[in-house]
Amino acid sequence: MREEITLLIERYQDNLFAAAFSICKNAADANDIVQETFLQYYTIDKEFETEQHIKAWLIRVAINKAKNINLSFWKRKRVSMEDYINTLAFETPEDGPLFEEVMGLPEKYRIIIHLFYYEDYSIREIANILKISEANVKVRLTRGRTLLKKTLKEEWNDDDQ
Amino acid sequence: MMTNKERYKRAFSTLHASPDTKTEVMNMLNEQETHKKRRTISRAMAAALTATLVIGSSLAAYAANVGGIQQIIQIWVHGDPTDAIIEFDGQGNYNLEYEDKDGNIHTEGGGGVAFGPFGKERPLTPEELMEELNHPDVKNENGVWTVSYYGETHDITDKFDTDGVCYLKLIHDGETLYMTITKEHGTASSSKYYVDAKELLD
Repeated sequence: MREEITLLIERYQDNLFAAAFSICKNAADANDIVQETFLQYYTIDKEFETEQHIKAWLIRVAINKAKNINLSFWKRKRVSMEDYINTLAFETPEDGPLFEEVMGLPEKYRIIIHLFYYEDYSIREIANILKISEANVKVRLTRGRTLLKKTLKEEWNDDDQ
Repeated sequence: MMTNKERYKRAFSTLHASPDTKTEVMNMLNEQETHKKRRTISRAMAAALTATLVIGSSLAAYAANVGGIQQIIQIWVHGDPTDAIIEFDGQGNYNLEYEDKDGNIHTEGGGGVAFGPFGKERPLTPEELMEELNHPDVKNENGVWTVSYYGETHDITDKFDTDGVCYLKLIHDGETLYMTITKEHGTASSSKYYVDAKELLD
C-alpha cells in the first residue's frame, strides 16, 4: 500500500521531528531531516504492508539521516541545548529536567529510550527499526533507564519492565 | 500517579516540526517532477532484449489503432539498433513487437502506475512508459550481475560491497543517474543523490 504524502506529513511530522531531534539535537537539522524523509518516501520504489509499516520506515529513515548528520564533518552552528530548552513551552516544571536528562544521555541510549517511551515500540520493533539485535536493545534500554533513574530519582518511577 | 511513558510523552510533546513542513515538501515535490515515484514496470522482457529503447523521432509514425496508438521506435537488441512497434492502450500498458536479425518475431508487454504528489494513483502516460523503458535494467544471471543502459551492458559483479550493495553512477547525454543496487532488496535511483541502501530494507 501507499498513503497520500500530505496525510503522512500531517500525521507523522512531529514524530519524525522528535526522533531526528533526539539524535541530532538541532531543530533546524531535524526540520531538514523531516522534509528529506518525506521526499524520500515519495521517491522510493517501495510497497508497504500497513500504515504502521510506513510509519516505522519513515522513522528509520529519519534516524539514519540524523545519524549521518552527526557523523558529517559539516554541522550547523549549534544552539546550546540549554538555550533551546528555554524556548520550549513545557506543560509542567518537571518536564524540563526530564527532557534535559534524556538529551544528555549517550546517543545509543537516547534513541532507544525515545522509541520505547514516546513511540510505544516494543523491544522487537525497536530492534527491527534500528537493525540491531533485541539483546542489544534490552541492554541499552536498561542502561538508559538506570542513568535516568540515577539523575531524576523520584521523578522517574520503577514501573518499567 | 503518572507512568514514565506518560511523563516522557508529555515532556516530548513540546517538540513540533516546522509549521511550514507540508508547504516546503510539496514545493520540493513540484520542483522534482522528474522524481515521480513509480512502481516497477512488470516486464515480460525477452532475455535477448537489452533494457534500452531510443525514440527515433524521424522514424516515429502515429497510426490510429483500435483502442490504442502505435508508434515505431528503435530498440537495442544485442547491441544492434532494431525497429519495433510499440502500442499503448491508454491505461498505462504497452505492447512491443520486433523482429530480430534472424527473422524471429518477439513480443513483450508491461505497464505501470505513477503516484501524484497527493498520493493518487494514475496510469503512466506513453511518455513516462518510454522513459521507464529507458531506465537501467539490472539482471542477475547465474551470479553475474549486469546493468544495461542506453545500449551498453556492464558487468558489475565485482562492484558489490560485502553487504551486497553496489552504488553506481550512470551518465548519459549529460544526465547523471545515481543507482543503488542491492542483491537482496531491489534497486533505487535518483538524479540527485544515492539512495541509502538501508532504505530498501523492509
